[in-house]
Amino acid sequence: MTALRDVDLEIPEGEIHGLLGPNGAGKTTLCKILSTVLLPTSGRAEICGYDVVADTAAVRRLIGIVFGGERGLYTRLTARGNLQFWASLYGLSGAQAQLRVTTLLERLGLEQRADVRVETFSRGMKQRLHLARGLIGDPQVLILDEPTTGMDPVAAQEFRHLVRGLRAEGRTVLITTHDMAEAEAICDRVTLIDNGSILATERPSTLGTWITRYARVRADGVPPERVSSVTAALEALSGVAAVRESAPGTLVVDTAADGAAPEVLRLLLELGITDVATTRPDLAEVYLQVIGKRGMRVD
Amino acid sequence: MTAATVESHGYGALAYLNGFLAGLERELRELRRSPDRLMALVTAPMLTLVFLAIMLHAGRDDLASFAVLAPALLVLWQMALQTSGDTVESERENGSLEALVVAPAPFPAVITGRITAVTAVSLLGFVESWVVAWLVFGVHVEIHHPSVFLGAVLTTGYATAGSAMALAALFVRTRAARAFQNSLTYPFYVLGGVMVPVSYLPDWLEPLTRLVFLSWSSDLMRAAVGPEPVPDVALHLVMIVLLGTVGAIIGGVLVRRALAEIRRTGTIGHA
Repeated sequence: MTALRDVDLEIPEGEIHGLLGPNGAGKTTLCKILSTVLLPTSGRAEICGYDVVADTAAVRRLIGIVFGGERGLYTRLTARGNLQFWASLYGLSGAQAQLRVTTLLERLGLEQRADVRVETFSRGMKQRLHLARGLIGDPQVLILDEPTTGMDPVAAQEFRHLVRGLRAEGRTVLITTHDMAEAEAICDRVTLIDNGSILATERPSTLGTWITRYARVRADGVPPERVSSVTAALEALSGVAAVRESAPGTLVVDTAADGAAPEVLRLLLELGITDVATTRPDLAEVYLQVIGKRGMRVD
Repeated sequence: MTAATVESHGYGALAYLNGFLAGLERELRELRRSPDRLMALVTAPMLTLVFLAIMLHAGRDDLASFAVLAPALLVLWQMALQTSGDTVESERENGSLEALVVAPAPFPAVITGRITAVTAVSLLGFVESWVVAWLVFGVHVEIHHPSVFLGAVLTTGYATAGSAMALAALFVRTRAARAFQNSLTYPFYVLGGVMVPVSYLPDWLEPLTRLVFLSWSSDLMRAAVGPEPVPDVALHLVMIVLLGTVGAIIGGVLVRRALAEIRRTGTIGHA
């Protein structure tokens, strides 16, 4: 089985880059190769100019890794104890280690629980501690493999804010996620990957044009008894490519010509439908269109 | 990505020291919070009571030192098997192996630090046995050759740690830790002369017992406790250190091979 094939990807310094793809697509394998956990059978990968196979020790000093999930922490130790251990492995000692550990605990909002055993932590707190561990070596490159898995929305929002802060510090971040909103919110560029191959690398906003470069109009609150007649009226307009009911009472109108969207909006208002908006295809829609609606099947 | 300045491409002695000390400190902290991993130390006083009661009831006060030494050596080996032997596998099960492997400090150094901590703690078994004999039975086992005894304890600690390294590597490679832990206890107690001196065993077993460092250790410790001059001290110490070093080398090589193999095959981190 080939986990990755013909992968050609360059991530500039200071970019937050998202890796998107279904389970088994090869995202984690790519992360593990870049973080020197796994050896590639062929090909070449570099971090800051250092080969991940030939210059393993150099690469390891430059990277921080955060693998998702609750495992990987020493639950009988405190958060501070965990970080002190990792600080020692990264060559920090004494006051320098204390300062780094304390700074990270504060930054990740864990200072109040710093001296509490990790076994009492919620999943979100463990994830934050994972991120602190990943940052303990002050890495230039951070590899995050599904870091927000299990976080509640507030924690996930905080996490995204934190990742943006890492970019502001000039760090490069590679993040794998299933959360399209997250990718859209924080990534400068995303790579869609499936069956071990890269399908596309683009800015999230640019990927939307894969589906349509024209505006799309969304109308909510259409009375059920009027859906058919409104649909027919819209379809009769010049420049309208398709009209579909995406949810009960919600019509989505795809246009296929410049200037068609204002005509659609005008007609909807004339018909008394005022809850309208123009939109672009979001990343989730692109993902579904490109990767395919394969359900729970793993290829 | 732009090139960055990195001072060295290999592991330096400082990285090894960092890894060793980090592993040592973490293990001591975890042991303090994990009484279940110290169960062997709970059994030592009880075994001392049983062995000593039998000896004294039989009127063999002269064998009191045997009854006190045996539980201490049992604890040493049991903790090497159960706790030290689990060091690599426990990281795998905990999901921390991957992060440890890619940390700048060498992984074998971390494991060595952890094993050293466990071995040092297991030496408390000697103190327990002596104290129990004195407090419960009023038996004070005098050590007539303290420097020899101290040398035997230290070299035995070293050899135990070295052997534990080999065990840890063996367990993670075979993924059959429990089977080994169960099957390597009593044979080693016997071949190591822990409960019964190897000279009491059938002659044909002796060559085999000499491949087990515990046989040299137990002989030397028993001799160091007695009033008679201790024969062949240097030979015993050298053999203990030699067999421990062989275990450490085999363990180090096996750990490195295991890590290289699982990096190639992708099985790293599978619990």
